[in-house]
Amino acid sequence: MITLSSYLAISFLLFVCGIAVMIARKNIIAILLGVELILNSCAINFVAYTRFVNNNLDGHIMSLFIIIIAAAEAAVGLAIVIRFFQIRESIHIDDATQLLQ
Amino acid sequence: MFDNFLFISSAALTVCGALAVVLSPNLMHACTYLLTSLIGVSGLYVTLSADFLAATQLVVYVGGVVILMLFAIMLTGGNDNKSVNKFGIEKIAPMGNIKTFTLAGLSALLMALVISKIIVNVTKAVPKGELPPFSSTVEKIGELLITDHVLAFEISSVLLLGALIGAALIARPRKIES
Repeated sequence: MITLSSYLAISFLLFVCGIAVMIARKNIIAILLGVELILNSCAINFVAYTRFVNNNLDGHIMSLFIIIIAAAEAAVGLAIVIRFFQIRESIHIDDATQLLQ
Repeated sequence: MFDNFLFISSAALTVCGALAVVLSPNLMHACTYLLTSLIGVSGLYVTLSADFLAATQLVVYVGGVVILMLFAIMLTGGNDNKSVNKFGIEKIAPMGNIKTFTLAGLSALLMALVISKIIVNVTKAVPKGELPPFSSTVEKIGELLITDHVLAFEISSVLLLGALIGAALIARPRKIES
């Protein structure tokens, strides 16, 4: 039951769900939710390989840095979304058509 | 027995949460389903005997990132109702319509085919053997962070400081024009 393949399958499903969210949604915050799913699927892969293949904990360190970078990405991304909402009064991705305000 | 139960429940929570994020028509509900999915991932870390990572996942993601996203959703007022953009072109609904979901399904299918082609070969090459017993990873991770990976550790601290200052600068309120 608990094998490397099952973890790879779960991570695969998370990744595909993340891709689908990123393409289907037109709301910027919903697209950020898809990015979080993809980052998590990647972190699961690192930890699963550490457990089943090499046992040297480097994968744990890598997952830790993925979590750190995801936190930084969420903070900056949401700040940009809030700034965009102040300027455009909308968080629809089709309203983001100009570089100059 | 307990391991199997924990694994099955965490996997179900993760996958169902992710599917609900895809299919939920409400942004607030999607964010809450993301919360359940992340809790499931934390449970998967426990079954992989990564105790420190499971705790970090709970503290940073469940306690931090998702709450931040809920704040952002509430600050931007949820869904807007304007159906026409600045150029007079009709906008797609914020949470997607049938056309975008068809596109997303097709590209997810394509991605699934490519990745499954890779995964099939990878799972054949896995060595079989006894798994090592559970032991706490906190001490070893701490040692690794300040010996082998000290450069990445310091760079991530600079990255977090930069993200903090950048987020505060970007999101500051507009100057009142008089």
